[in-house]
Amino acid sequence: MPCLQASSPGSMPYQHHGRGVGCAAEAGAAVGASAGTGTRCGAHDGEVPAEAARHHEHAAPGPGRCCSAVVQRVAAPAEAVWSVVRRFDQPQAYKRFVRSCALLAGDGGVGTLREVRVVSGLPAASSRERLEVLDDESHVLSFRVVGGEHRLQNYLSVTTVHPSPAAPDAATVVVESYVVDVPPGNTPEDTRVFVDTIVKCNLQSLATTAEKLALAAV
Amino acid sequence: MAEICCEEAKSTPATAVAAASVSATAAAAAAVAVASSALERRRRRLEMRRFRVAGDPEAPVAEDVRAAKRQRLARTLSSTCPDAGSGSGSDSDRPALPERLPRYGVTSVCGRRREMEDTVSVRPDFVPGTSKQHFFGVFDGHGCSHVATMCQNMMHEVVADEHRKADCSGEETAWKAVMERSFARLDEQAASWATSRSRDEPSCRCEQQKPLRCDHVGSTAVVAVVSPTHVVVANAGDSRAVLSRAGVPVPLSVDHKPDRPDELARIKAAGGRVIYWDGARVLGVLAMSRAIGDGYLKPFVSSEPEVTVTERTDDDECLILASDGLWDVVTNEMACEVVRACFHSNGPPAPAARANGAALRAAENGSAAAKGVSVEDSDKACSDAAMLLAKLALARRSADNVSVVVVDLRRGI
Repeated sequence: MPCLQASSPGSMPYQHHGRGVGCAAEAGAAVGASAGTGTRCGAHDGEVPAEAARHHEHAAPGPGRCCSAVVQRVAAPAEAVWSVVRRFDQPQAYKRFVRSCALLAGDGGVGTLREVRVVSGLPAASSRERLEVLDDESHVLSFRVVGGEHRLQNYLSVTTVHPSPAAPDAATVVVESYVVDVPPGNTPEDTRVFVDTIVKCNLQSLATTAEKLALAAV
Repeated sequence: MAEICCEEAKSTPATAVAAASVSATAAAAAAVAVASSALERRRRRLEMRRFRVAGDPEAPVAEDVRAAKRQRLARTLSSTCPDAGSGSGSDSDRPALPERLPRYGVTSVCGRRREMEDTVSVRPDFVPGTSKQHFFGVFDGHGCSHVATMCQNMMHEVVADEHRKADCSGEETAWKAVMERSFARLDEQAASWATSRSRDEPSCRCEQQKPLRCDHVGSTAVVAVVSPTHVVVANAGDSRAVLSRAGVPVPLSVDHKPDRPDELARIKAAGGRVIYWDGARVLGVLAMSRAIGDGYLKPFVSSEPEVTVTERTDDDECLILASDGLWDVVTNEMACEVVRACFHSNGPPAPAARANGAALRAAENGSAAAKGVSVEDSDKACSDAAMLLAKLALARRSADNVSVVVVDLRRGI
């Protein structure tokens, strides 16, 4: 399925029917049926950069699940970007929609549990999230949503930060992929549109934040 | 704000009882009548004192009484009454200032939501150089409060500026252009808030983020300009303006919900989607299809207002502007009925009579939510009506901030 990546910070989402790369529950079911459980999902092939792809691999989502990956290019060095992404205890450093964040356990390392309260106007009040992976060498962060007041069950997210092949010292490619249950009454497409909107907004904000950090460092 | 919330918390049980039964509602109305009688006597004493201080105690009072009588006679007997002319003459002798002020009431309460993100703006005589045009606005913020606060502080100035530029003589098309340009300017201001915010503006949560990022913040805006001949309403979002005409509600705005058929078509044509995620939402995120701000959802969430220009009639009773915290739980019909009941229980307002309501004072002390309102300008009946509507919304478990403006449109009094 065709997909346009966010080409620059502040670009409008859905400018050209762009959306995260995902696969429908039906396709997942078909793959699962033909090859048995545990088949890897190939939906993101060709979109997620090769150097990051292995971190975003996951089993093909079965019925009632969906997945997507959002790619954001940042005009800043990878270290500057990673320094912002890795602060699991400070999501408001780059994420939008965060009203406050409190740590319930841990101090920022793997196993840290945070409670994020969400701003008004959104169909969610809070989200409880556990840090699963924090790899400072490979620049990989993963968290799982384990509670809160929202409709996204069994949400698992992976974010990677890699130097851009075209300009390794000055540009970075950030990929955030996720797998999540499709809520009752919605379609996989609904779910991807909703989550991708939030993720895209956050990654665009990350780009702005990191670029300003890099400028300040010069 | 704490005073308002505490007051509401204390009042809710009584209001809940009132909401539970018709007889209880009647009892509440009777209580309002009794309280207003006491306030009425106090108000008269204050007026007498004021006239005495003026040094001419007898003539103004007598003149008011005679003028009122003539007006009543004139209205009863219609144009054939020979006293009508002298009544008009008497009117022209009355002080100009009190006559020009609108009669209105305001209340704005946090309710069951954690934070207050509604604002209200009341600006009598807001267009420099012209008189008898009054501005009323209700702004229901989301994501944070600063866009609603900005609208509260700036919208009336921008409308006045656009009105001056347009040399607006009242035609419908001219007012439509004035309002569309005003809303567009506020929308641009919201988008550039992060870079242009002045240091003396009240701080909000977004300020803690560096660099400032707030294109996920927005506000509804329902705005009314009331003149002696017309009511102009401009609306973007799901707040609402309703006129009560001979007891019948006349909507002056239509809520911008994403699943409104024409809004749904517009969003789809722009390449967006409306997803049912705890209700109809643009991209599953925002529960309204138009708003000031919300840059990340453009062009799907537009700031273009829908504008109505309504000619006033002798049957007009009141104008109600309120946020969806009220309208989600109270029908247009019930809102108009509540205001009508408050008008009846307070009797017709005397031409120069003004009284402050507890609600208004609480609103002014509690927060900046009702900036532009001065105690002297508020009419008792309108204040009672606004407060009663807010209490009714809370009693019906509204889950949102509630802001209400009630404007008395009755003529010939």
